[in-house]
Amino acid sequence: MKGNFHIHLLLALATLLIYSGCASKEPLLSTEHDTSSSIKVPFVAPRSDLCGSTSIEMVSSYWQSITPYTPRLSQKELDARTLIPAKGGTLQVELMATARANGLLAYTIPPTFDALLHELEKQHPVIVLLNRGYSWYPLWHYAPAVGYNKKDQTILMHFSDRPNEAINIATFKRLWERSGNWGVVLLPPEYLPVSASPKAFLRSAYDLEKTGMRDNAIIAYKSALQRWPKDIDILFALANAYHHSNKFTAAEKYYRKLLSIEPLNPLALNNLSDLLCHIGRQNEAMATIKKADSDNIEIQSIINATQKKILNGCTLQASPKK
Amino acid sequence: MNISKLLLSFILSITLLTQTSWAQIASTEAIFKQAETLSSKDKIIQFTARQDVAKILVQMDVEPTMIKDRVAAMTDEEASKFANEIDTMPAGGDAVGALVGAVVFIFVVLLITDILGLTKVFDFTRTVR
Repeated sequence: MKGNFHIHLLLALATLLIYSGCASKEPLLSTEHDTSSSIKVPFVAPRSDLCGSTSIEMVSSYWQSITPYTPRLSQKELDARTLIPAKGGTLQVELMATARANGLLAYTIPPTFDALLHELEKQHPVIVLLNRGYSWYPLWHYAPAVGYNKKDQTILMHFSDRPNEAINIATFKRLWERSGNWGVVLLPPEYLPVSASPKAFLRSAYDLEKTGMRDNAIIAYKSALQRWPKDIDILFALANAYHHSNKFTAAEKYYRKLLSIEPLNPLALNNLSDLLCHIGRQNEAMATIKKADSDNIEIQSIINATQKKILNGCTLQASPKK
Repeated sequence: MNISKLLLSFILSITLLTQTSWAQIASTEAIFKQAETLSSKDKIIQFTARQDVAKILVQMDVEPTMIKDRVAAMTDEEASKFANEIDTMPAGGDAVGALVGAVVFIFVVLLITDILGLTKVFDFTRTVR
């Protein structure tokens, strides 16, 4: 009877092994990437339940070591902001929120292995969420990926208590898949993710602005403009950010730049009019708002309100609220 | 652990002021949303989401002094996601410690299946059947 159990166990194990051996036969690393990459990310030893915090800490001190960036939060603050005791860990949203509070832009990379390699190649460490268990018994863990080696077919990670642990790519892919290939790059606002699309990057930069870090957001918008100089959305976000910080000359410059690309953009026309009105150039404000027109009822109602304000001599309100 | 309503409303008044814009000019938010500005209904939903997040954090034994900062650090979208999906969201934790948990877990599963008579791993169990 006991022997019977062992046979079953053996069969089960054999099935598992065979199953594991059936992972993709396609080449794991395509030829478009460099043969290897190794990022010098300072290693931080694990602290109980705090891999979210230590991951942010490691990536932050990496940027601190190669750029003028200075972290805003202490190790203690990182811990206190990320841990949820009842969950025994850190949620993705709070990992992102804490990284931002630490002065970094948090950008979720596209969920592909290729996107991960692109970032590593460009010396951007990526914090990945892995499930070391199974879907029915998850053991969630964050760790920074800090490089890869094509020849050995490994990903380098500060996975646990040793730096630069080489993890077999097939294994890594299996663990990573279970989190839906979730990975995030944390960057000083001067840097752009390799895999960024204008809209997705703008979203991350705007998240900085919304959570009280407008100055960092402005830097991020400006670096985005270097890659996408004619992107209307980025120009609008940058102009608005300057407008909100009462830097009217800079704001005007970027509203006008946007309007040189899209002369009838109603949102830019409206905001520029508001700005001109605010700095006492009422006639110009009126001329500008007259060009604004929109099918969208809500936009049109804003335009009407601005027009009314200008007609009233721009006295209705002072600066735009934050 | 209890937290006074006063503290909660204080937290929320601060986070609300730092976030959703009530400005006259067209907001950058317009880029991401179909609608130009947030309707007052949206604002109320976001307000409640933040209130919920604060409550959940309290229930989950988070240090009360940190709650204000943690709620404020989230965007509206993150706060809604947090409030709505807290039960299913993964929380990344230990690299090593949980493994012990896994062993205990498997032990318990086998113990139960033993007791139900589905397995016979341990000598000290007797099936209930």
